Amino acid sequence: MQNTSINFKRQVTIKLADVKLQGALSRLQTRFVEGRAAVIGEINDLQETRTAAAAIRDRVLNDLEYWLLHFEQQATARGAIVHWAETGADVNRIVAEIAARHGVRTAAKSKSMVSEECGLNDALELAGVEVMETDLGEYILQLAHEAPSHIVAPVVHKNMEEIADLFAEKHQLPRKTDIAELCREAREVLRPAFLNADMGISGGNFLLAETGSVLIVTNEGNGRLVTTLPRVHVAITGIEKIVPTLEDVTTLLRLLPRSATGQSITNYVSVLTGNKDSADHDGPEHFHIILLDNGRSSLLGSEMQEMLRCIRCGACMNHCPVYQNIGGHAYGWVYPGPMGSILTPLLGGLENAPDLPNASTLCGACAVVCPVKIPLPDLLRKLREKQMERGMKSRQETFMLKAWAWLALHPAIYAMATKIGVRLMRILGGKEKILHHLPGARGWTDGRDFPAPAGMTFRELYKRGVHK
Amino acid sequence: MHVGLFVTCLVDTMRPRIGFATIKLLEAAGCEVIVPEQQTCCGQPGYNSGDRKSAEAMALKFLAEFEAFDYVVLPSGSCAGMIRVHYPDLFKDDPALLARITALGQRTYELTDFLVNIAKLKKVPGTFQGTLTYHDSCSGLRELDVYKQPRALLAKMPNVALHEMVESTTCCGFGGTFSVKYGELSTRMADNKCQHIEAAHAGAIVGGDLGCLLNIEGRLRRNGDHTTRVLHIAEVLSDSDLEAP
Amino acid sequence: MNARDKILSKIRNSQARTAAGSVAGTVAQTEMRDSYLALHPRGPLPPPLDNLVAGFKERAIKLSSDVMEASDSKDVPILLARYLSERKLPVSGVCWPSLAGLPWSTAGLDIQSRPAKNQDLVGVTGAFCAIAETGTLMMLSGPETPATTSLLPETHVAVLDPRRIVATMEDAWNLMRKEYKQPPRAVNFISGPSRTADIEQTVTLGAHGPYRVLLILAPL
Repeated sequence: MQNTSINFKRQVTIKLADVKLQGALSRLQTRFVEGRAAVIGEINDLQETRTAAAAIRDRVLNDLEYWLLHFEQQATARGAIVHWAETGADVNRIVAEIAARHGVRTAAKSKSMVSEECGLNDALELAGVEVMETDLGEYILQLAHEAPSHIVAPVVHKNMEEIADLFAEKHQLPRKTDIAELCREAREVLRPAFLNADMGISGGNFLLAETGSVLIVTNEGNGRLVTTLPRVHVAITGIEKIVPTLEDVTTLLRLLPRSATGQSITNYVSVLTGNKDSADHDGPEHFHIILLDNGRSSLLGSEMQEMLRCIRCGACMNHCPVYQNIGGHAYGWVYPGPMGSILTPLLGGLENAPDLPNASTLCGACAVVCPVKIPLPDLLRKLREKQMERGMKSRQETFMLKAWAWLALHPAIYAMATKIGVRLMRILGGKEKILHHLPGARGWTDGRDFPAPAGMTFRELYKRGVHK
Repeated sequence: MHVGLFVTCLVDTMRPRIGFATIKLLEAAGCEVIVPEQQTCCGQPGYNSGDRKSAEAMALKFLAEFEAFDYVVLPSGSCAGMIRVHYPDLFKDDPALLARITALGQRTYELTDFLVNIAKLKKVPGTFQGTLTYHDSCSGLRELDVYKQPRALLAKMPNVALHEMVESTTCCGFGGTFSVKYGELSTRMADNKCQHIEAAHAGAIVGGDLGCLLNIEGRLRRNGDHTTRVLHIAEVLSDSDLEAP
Repeated sequence: MNARDKILSKIRNSQARTAAGSVAGTVAQTEMRDSYLALHPRGPLPPPLDNLVAGFKERAIKLSSDVMEASDSKDVPILLARYLSERKLPVSGVCWPSLAGLPWSTAGLDIQSRPAKNQDLVGVTGAFCAIAETGTLMMLSGPETPATTSLLPETHVAVLDPRRIVATMEDAWNLMRKEYKQPPRAVNFISGPSRTADIEQTVTLGAHGPYRVLLILAPL
């Protein structure tokens, strides 16, 4: 997927004015924020469980080569073929080769954010493979030629009316008027796609080193269908998704659906290991697992490594007051919200996403809900430090920061400057004690007044002994 | 108890009366309050903007000025959080400094946290009357666990009625330089907060961080609300009659 | 160098390790990893349940499964017939071979013993075990336990021996380890009917899998 994060600021303006989008985003609060709150307390000791989950992820990341090789060995022993891809383009090439080798003409796909990183669908279409997205949200987006705006609820930015119009147009069926009817229509349209597909494509929520399995969590059942019916199954995921044992993944599963959608467990959890046996009635004859790097390995051993703990639950974006107001498309790539504001610059270049680390108040709501305790605000701040070090900040901002620091380190001059400053601003504030415009701070005063200062500084008054 | 007061740069320049209200409260709690004269800024603006070097210099300045006190108190959760939580990060590679800065951080408190948990203030001197709603500023809430403390103090005031707003813990959109750099976004977040404030039907919006309060006040006034009072918790608790000139 | 070697070398470089040091590792490191895999320690667990069956039922119902109980497996067909007729659902379907011997036709049902096809509307399965913590069925795929039976039909019926209800997923893994050397091709945990909330975050039951899941607890 093309990275358009550079347009973030322009997109913010557009998204804030998008009435339909704002209506759609208002549902985040009930479904996701309140949904999580309602079930997260079911976990016996949440903080202990989060700590354990973070430790599981760290154990793997600190020793990633070992666990990857162990996974590869176990998966291969069961008949799966493990592929390694350095870039998204490599993933596309590998999938196209697999399709060609097995004479695949049609593919049914369940939701995979990693495949969005690669732009897999377009590449497969070019290679002559017809791809059908089968996750309801992804299917709607495929019909509408849009990108997902949320990693768990890809079509959160659309309302029912828009989807009803889209289905009526694309399916050439009478327009449906309620959500259940729309879901049934999608089921009926998509069922043949599952039955006829030569290849199923899925992501992988976790890779189990112990057993060489790919674990997938889904609700709709499409994940099960695409990994059960077609004769070829290709699972695509990032190299960091390894978990050592079945027990470890169980700990993570207590957190993932609760954090993501407020479910104590997703409808289906599928652990897929190897090909079908000769006696089996179902299951793929060929199981390919593609492990994508795409820049992830460069985070290992760095101060950003903690980002690789991420299990893609989306809780950080659900709870982010910035995401809640602009939605996911403004961020310009696959991953929005706090985790995206860190991953996008790290995987796609800080120079291509200069706003993302800065477009946060560092309010910390994301860090509190992160199931694997990623210190998201700290990582955003570290990216800001990198921008400073590499001279990527505007001259004006750098000057202001340095000037303020210099002043703060010279108390006598600071006292003088603030004394003059507050008087000036007090006068400008007039009778109302309000400034409607503030030179150099239009960002503030375009939408807010600036309350005038009292007119004398605390240190002046204190010296005078006002308080005694 | 010798308490060093760090008034914070915002209170110093914008609302000195919050500083005096803080002194009054600390004295009511039996503390001897000292205000080091050379204090300026905790370094948070630079730290949060990626200017780590400046933040380090200001942290050292703070250490030199405040290390001698039993406690340091600030009428701000975000500045107290900077000192308690983030100063140690600045010196993680210097064990000797780290130990000193961490020890000082452990003695540094946000005002209401200090009044409730350390000084154990019994009687709140303020006589504020009326309804108010409370905004929980992010750093105090999430870095220092300040939530119950201001409410416990307000509960000691017989004529105060607290009308909780929905999403009182959602960010108001201030975020320091964020409020200017991403003005539209910041304004929208402030606007959401103002709607919650309005729905709470309170005479005053009260909080523990002046930055957030200026942001909220700015949006309220621009929206034409000139009646809802915007007050720092220290002002409410002390009801300081000290009108700054 | 192929992609695999390049990625592995990037990982080593990022973590400033040598090839020998990271893969083979020191003896101590290898032992630590081996013992971790062998011990597969559990994380923090939910508090123990007094009554696994009651706990299972409560959670399963909460996740929109329907639950019935029979004191004898022979009564399962009658219960199913009642369930289907109350909902005006078709009375024909398929079942796993292990359940072929139940008196289906006596109860007026036409249940054939074969894997499900697209047009089958009722699929009757057993389960490897069930998990009380979340009200979840654990299904292991195999020649006698086809995965499609619980997936393609609109109604999935699982006949479950209450003695096969365990407390947690950790217990379920242990049971699997005890009874099988390795996981089968597919382990499917099922917690109620398929669902989607993609449109306006409104939960709708019956997405691509079953619209309803009936759990019949009966000694097998």
